[in-house]
Amino acid sequence: MRHIPTVAGRELRSLFVSPVAYGVLSLFSILGGVFFILYVAEFSEWVFRLQQMQAAQQLEDLNLSDHLVNGFYGSMSMVLLFLIPGVTMGLFTSEKANGTDELLLTSPLTIWDIVLGKFLAASAFVALLTAIVGMFPAILFLYGDPELGKTLSGLLGVLLVGWTYAAIGCFASSLTRSQVLAFLITFVILLCILLVPAMADLGIAGGAPGIAELLRWLSTGAHFDELSKGLVDTSDLAYFAVIIGVFLCMTKAVVESVRWR
Amino acid sequence: MIEARGLSKRYGDVVAVDDVSFSIGKGEVVGFLGPNGAGKTTTMRMLTGFLPPTEGTAVIAGHDIFEQAIDARRSVGYLPETPPLYPEMTCRSYLTYVAKIKDVPRARRHGAVDQAIERCGLEDVHRRVISTLSKGFRQRVGIAQAILGDPPVLILDEPTVGLDPLQIREIRSLIAGLAAPGKGESQQTVVLSTHILAEVEAICRRVILISDGRKQVDAPITELTSGGRSLEEIFTQATLRDASADLDLEGDG
Ligand SMILES: Nc1ncnc2c1ncn2[C@@H]1O[C@H](COP(=O)(O)OP(=O)(O)O)[C@@H](O)[C@H]1O
Ligand SMILES: [Mg+2]
Repeated sequence: MRHIPTVAGRELRSLFVSPVAYGVLSLFSILGGVFFILYVAEFSEWVFRLQQMQAAQQLEDLNLSDHLVNGFYGSMSMVLLFLIPGVTMGLFTSEKANGTDELLLTSPLTIWDIVLGKFLAASAFVALLTAIVGMFPAILFLYGDPELGKTLSGLLGVLLVGWTYAAIGCFASSLTRSQVLAFLITFVILLCILLVPAMADLGIAGGAPGIAELLRWLSTGAHFDELSKGLVDTSDLAYFAVIIGVFLCMTKAVVESVRWR
Repeated sequence: MIEARGLSKRYGDVVAVDDVSFSIGKGEVVGFLGPNGAGKTTTMRMLTGFLPPTEGTAVIAGHDIFEQAIDARRSVGYLPETPPLYPEMTCRSYLTYVAKIKDVPRARRHGAVDQAIERCGLEDVHRRVISTLSKGFRQRVGIAQAILGDPPVLILDEPTVGLDPLQIREIRSLIAGLAAPGKGESQQTVVLSTHILAEVEAICRRVILISDGRKQVDAPITELTSGGRSLEEIFTQATLRDASADLDLEGDG
């Protein structure tokens, strides 16, 4: 386990010599700006209309956290769905392409050193993306008074969603030698997770309430929403920990099986 | 230092390595000779812990490759068939990374990297990015990462393949230098694989010939050639004997 930072450090450095990292960072910042402006414009429009209608009660209910920041976080976590597969697709595939998997697996590293090192690198990158997301609501504090608690817990939600996506991307990358395939596998798994609550609602569970419950529990969105509402509940945190843990264990099993094939 | 005990590897129906055993003592330089597809790479991958044997086991520097896998791997410097390089790293940062993951103690790391760079003649290119290096230099970087930190056992898979004659000569003298260390350098046990006879004659004192996954010959070179026969005759005979054995089998079936 000592070597997790060693592996992560090399991974991050190679990520930042490739154009992928800069492409993702710029695209993410630009999209962040665009979404933020759209949400701010929409919010102002509401304020304007409600003032015209003299709907004092609704104006009272309107607040920056629930009606601007949350929507923005939601949109940015959707953007992560497209960008994180691009960040993680090279984690294991490039080792196989370089033949460096043979170096890693014949060195005194453990498989956990390798898997957790790579996940740590991807997580650090996700943390950077989350920091970019956080910059935008920070602007609001200059002009208004969004609730700090909700702003931060929502941001925690973005971070945890990103880490979950990264763990899934890590797993997909271990499965194949092709970056394109790794991207697609990640994307498909993420879409499935996104569609799970819809499946539950459509009654695919066939009326068995336990299964519908389970499907809803599996959906990342539901737990993300709780965090956006400012409710930092251990059960939601546990959800993210469990999903990340499961995918990392599966990654370890796949990397190990390459040695045993 | 290296003890192979009945190593076998099967890929489905293909028997890549078939019950190979040998024992190599400290300071020996052994040539692992065999035609392409003989099972050299597969055997080396089993010794280095990259592939698990289907049957048998090996003991490297006193550590069983199953029971004490990490210790066994720590004792080996390994050059795979394709040098395992990160093209985007500089030669030096790559070697420093390898030194870290191979547990070279922090205090010795810098010196070990410098020494590997010097021994492999990389002084002029160590600040360059690996992707800009020629094939010959990349092969040397591959050897440099193998010898880094002076592991007691070196396993080199076709160290001169794809190089031009001049580079081949340089790499051979480099390997010969590893086996005959200067003052203060520790003596290393070297196994190198090749399908080139001249290579074995040039660097090794002992040859293990494998063909079709089976060990055919295992003897010091002086002993083999003492009967007046050339290594080439022995080599062709051993590989042919095997081929005819196969033919015989087919005749029986
Ligand atoms: N991953 C694999 N799957 C199936 N067969 C393999 C695999 N790797 C090697 N082989 C077979 O095993 C035999 C030995 O290969 P190898 O060890 O690479 O030989 P050498 O290194 O002596 O050229 C060959 O017949 C090869 O086709
Ligand atoms: Mg080979």
